[in-house]
Amino acid sequence: MPLKREASWYKDAIIYQAHVRAFNDSNGDGIGDFQGLAQRLDYVQDLGVSAIWLMPFFPSPLRDDGYDISDYKSVNPTYGNLDDFKKFLAIAHDRGIRVIIEMVLNHTSDQHPWFQESRSSRDNPKRDWYVWSDVDTKYRGTRIIFLDTEMSNWAWDPISKSYYWHRFFSHQPDLNYDNPQVREEMWNVMKFWLDLGIDGFRLDAVPYLIEREGTNCENLPETHTIIRDLRKRIDEEFPGTMLLAEANQWPADLRQYFGNGDEFHMAFHFPLMPRMFMGLRLEDRKPITEILQQTPEIPPSCQWCLFLRNHDELTLEMVTDIERDYMYDIYARDKSMRLNLGIRRRLAPLLDNDRRRIEVMNGMLMSLPGTPIIYYGDEIGMGDNINLGDRNGVRTPMQWSGGWNGGFSAADPESLYSPPILNPVYGYPAVNVLSQKRTEHSLLSWMKHLIQTRRSTHVFGSGSIEFLHPANHRVLAYVRQLEKETVLVVNNLSSAAQAVELDLRRYKGNILIEMFGRNIFPRIGDLPYLLTMGPYQFYWFRLRRI
Amino acid sequence: MAEETLLSDDFLRQLINVGEVDILVGLPTHNNAQTIEPVLRAIQAGILKCFPRERAVIINADGGSHDGTPDLVTGASIDDVRNVLKIHTLRTLHAITTQYAHTPDPALALRTILAAADLLRARACVVISPTSTTIDPDWLQRLARPVYNDGFDLVSPLYRRQKFEGILMSNLLYPMTRAVYGYRIHEPFASEFAVSGHLVSDFLNSEIWNEEWVRVGTEVSLTVMALTGKYRTCQSFLGTKAHVDRSSSDLVVAMRRTVGTLFASLDRNRPLWSTINDSKSVPLVGTPSETEEPEPERIDRKRLWEMFATGVRELEPVFRTILSSTTLAELQRIAALELTEFQYPAGSWATTVYEFAASYHNAVISRDHILQALVPLYRGRMLTFLLENRSSSGKDGDKMEENVEALCGEFERLKPHLLKLWADRR
Amino acid sequence: MREREIIVAELTQAWQELVRGFAHYLPRLVEMLIVAFIGWMIAYFLKLLVRSILGMKKFSKLSESAGTTHFLHQMALPTAPELVSRFVFWVAWLGFILLGVSILPIVALQDYVSRFFFFLPRLFVALLILFFGSLVAGFFSRAALLAAVNANFRSSRLLSFAIRVMVSIFAISMAFEVLGVAEQTVLVFFGAVFGAIMLGLALAFGLGGKDLAREFLERKLSSSKKEEKEDELSPL
Repeated sequence: MPLKREASWYKDAIIYQAHVRAFNDSNGDGIGDFQGLAQRLDYVQDLGVSAIWLMPFFPSPLRDDGYDISDYKSVNPTYGNLDDFKKFLAIAHDRGIRVIIEMVLNHTSDQHPWFQESRSSRDNPKRDWYVWSDVDTKYRGTRIIFLDTEMSNWAWDPISKSYYWHRFFSHQPDLNYDNPQVREEMWNVMKFWLDLGIDGFRLDAVPYLIEREGTNCENLPETHTIIRDLRKRIDEEFPGTMLLAEANQWPADLRQYFGNGDEFHMAFHFPLMPRMFMGLRLEDRKPITEILQQTPEIPPSCQWCLFLRNHDELTLEMVTDIERDYMYDIYARDKSMRLNLGIRRRLAPLLDNDRRRIEVMNGMLMSLPGTPIIYYGDEIGMGDNINLGDRNGVRTPMQWSGGWNGGFSAADPESLYSPPILNPVYGYPAVNVLSQKRTEHSLLSWMKHLIQTRRSTHVFGSGSIEFLHPANHRVLAYVRQLEKETVLVVNNLSSAAQAVELDLRRYKGNILIEMFGRNIFPRIGDLPYLLTMGPYQFYWFRLRRI
Repeated sequence: MAEETLLSDDFLRQLINVGEVDILVGLPTHNNAQTIEPVLRAIQAGILKCFPRERAVIINADGGSHDGTPDLVTGASIDDVRNVLKIHTLRTLHAITTQYAHTPDPALALRTILAAADLLRARACVVISPTSTTIDPDWLQRLARPVYNDGFDLVSPLYRRQKFEGILMSNLLYPMTRAVYGYRIHEPFASEFAVSGHLVSDFLNSEIWNEEWVRVGTEVSLTVMALTGKYRTCQSFLGTKAHVDRSSSDLVVAMRRTVGTLFASLDRNRPLWSTINDSKSVPLVGTPSETEEPEPERIDRKRLWEMFATGVRELEPVFRTILSSTTLAELQRIAALELTEFQYPAGSWATTVYEFAASYHNAVISRDHILQALVPLYRGRMLTFLLENRSSSGKDGDKMEENVEALCGEFERLKPHLLKLWADRR
Repeated sequence: MREREIIVAELTQAWQELVRGFAHYLPRLVEMLIVAFIGWMIAYFLKLLVRSILGMKKFSKLSESAGTTHFLHQMALPTAPELVSRFVFWVAWLGFILLGVSILPIVALQDYVSRFFFFLPRLFVALLILFFGSLVAGFFSRAALLAAVNANFRSSRLLSFAIRVMVSIFAISMAFEVLGVAEQTVLVFFGAVFGAIMLGLALAFGLGGKDLAREFLERKLSSSKKEEKEDELSPL
């Protein structure tokens, strides 16, 4: 049963990012599945989020955690079947949770029947569905994304004796979007899932759809044309469906993906996230304000997607060299924590498991302009396992309780898809949902309270932002405003107590009401408003003229 | 406490906003708008290049400029209000300014900077002269690194100068400091130097602030404190030192700030220096680069000679109270020499200086008059130094160094004379 | 015989009178001597007291900072505490001696004593004025000499001497005025020879504005001689 189609539901949403495989195992085979996930929707609803984003669950050889899809129109058998998905979808909608799924447009698995046909002979009708070349020297200006594993964007196919194009792993050949048949077929795929009732797509790797000689093959105008076409069809046939772009680009380049409100509804703000970590460690708001000042205006119907951590590494592509070196030295001294141009760690270990730092980071996530995403497990402070390869260290089983396999699965621990975290600090005996539910001061309870407060007003999702520039650079302060509602947010990025004087003369006469405890602070007068802040403390004040 | 009355409320508020820092760069100014911009840029570049991750602040202590110097400094702040500057930094780099007085007072400016460094708990405090137009970004590293990374407490500069610049330094301050305190520190009075936070707070908290000479010659006092206490001192080669604007370098004023302070410091530290009878070299950081110094301007030697001779003749009654009869006789002998054969020998000069120091100590006449009486004699010594090194060009500056070294030898050899004078007159 | 007797009687009488007179005087004399002796003791005690009080660190510091130490050194005088304590001693003892003398029934002497006591404070003030006047004259003349020499002023000795004379005469005239001797003459003399302007100038050169005055002099002189390049070098 689809939810009521509010046109801009995504603007006030809070999204929970989960992985079917890692969430809950209902059949005891050691791998999470849709039935298990459906059983845990109570928890997701209780957390207070309004949407769940599932990572790829399609049939796949799983050489890139499901982003190498071998069949777009069914469910990986280890996660259940299409009926299981439909049941999950219905339950989620019953509980008011929207469902966003992954759609990998750019490439397929090399095991996909399309590619098998395409490579079988040079005159196969599907030959032109992929990008083939006799030489590996075309598109020279294109960067290699997975620097640690790939030498070139071209791979040699011994069967058809030619090269095929791939922007990611060599087992993920890129589809040829110059071919109308490909575009039509991919629309059919999306239509298939939309017909089932899903609420949105996260479109993976969008900047790379089209290749042109003499360019860096990213963000090309032809790519935008394809996206505009998709959006048009969706708006006509499935209004209220949200498109979220994954494009790891600078804000100015990202801006194009919103078009004139006729391309994506949302896009991830990649450069912001590392700068939040940087600002916290430098105890200086400069990195954060700087990147947000460089962020262009977007059409009113569009929205940024903010996150602290996700299933990938903390990417450092969108920072300068000196910033990257700093981030590595501060957050990933151990070289094994680094991957590609990033740091493969979860939120809590990145912040030294410091509750105050976790809180202020989440506070900023929820109050900066955009729709926040919570990565599963971060709401309870789960740890990571850097000894697992690639990004699997941040994709370990959800920790539900201190019992068998952390309550994730009834299978033998050895047969789990991934070993659960077991260390004394972050392991499931110490960090789990069950124990955190029992105490009011647990991180989980605090997160629920934070989400609840965020959802109590539309100002965070849709309001404007204006930065204050107090001379104390360790304090990040901004005013969010929507119609008559005004909220002042003040964050102390320092590990020490700070005094800050805010210039609030524009709001003279208002009183401040702290939003978590609803306590009243003195009225704003002519003098600078003096606040004293404890280490890593943050305030959300509602301004009221009484 | 020194800083309590020193810092204005407004400055204090600015300091609160800056918060704790790792490196503080002090910039004492007075009407330096013409030269300050390249200096500021070099400081910023130096911080970005060598200390991109450290918390740093530029503090300008201004003595009532009328040409907008403080505005130029604050305009150079790198923070989120002024992101028009296309400089990329990790951090906010504050540049703040305070007017410590309406008239320039170098000692008070330095004290303001040191007090700020102490309050902000800076690990390294670097002072840069706003007139050093030859500064390059590496200066900051050369000054601050030894303090910040290697645990030195005072980094004293070494410059490559125009040939005859800094004669008071090479002919009096350096040899005497070296002989008295036993350290071969070439620039005991410097317009650029770095100190550790440890030394700064000890200096500010010591009782010597009650003594007038510290207030007049803060730089020399700081050096003397570093040499006499258990502090680690080093010298760092910076580069070419710009020709200092002469309007600020009045000889008598310079004497008061440097020689006067050095003489006065002897009173308090006698137990220490009376036991020192040789000198240790001070570690050198960095390598002197081979830069050609420009040829100095022509100097009117005849005038120097005349002023010396006149001084010796006219001031005879004053010298009688200051100098011993043998030294006075020697001076009169020298004053009678023709310009062509003029020579004020190193030994006589050292004896003269020591007798002045002893008379200063005993205050036989007004201490300020003693210092003023030394000026004509210094001119004579300057003339000798010019004549001695007339032929040495930039390339064989070694000869000049040899001469300075020989002078230092005389100062060290004659130190017992100073001790004897000290004992005699009290 | 009778004449002899008379003479003897006279002599005896005279002797007796002398003895009587002596006997009359003797206790007073002894008294006077005792007073003088006690006075000496008291004065000596006062001297010790003053010296020990002034000898304390605080006072020597005060004296040093006030500059008196320098003045005294320059005049080849003992230190300030010594000087003051000696002065106290002599004033106290002299006072006691005169007190003793006044006990003696000599009318003329008593008159002188009282006049002395009347004159004493004035004398004291006059001496003080002369003393400090000479100090001030020495200081300012030296200051002017040094400034003039350092400014390469030709007749620096003359300038210095002129200032010394001016200040000295000013001091002397003040002293005479205090003593009440030849007031008019001194005043007229002073007014005629050295006007107030000259004095003001001298004071300006010596006192607070001595730096300013020297700079003025230097600038005046160096601007007239363009070829002087010596100071183009920075000494530091």
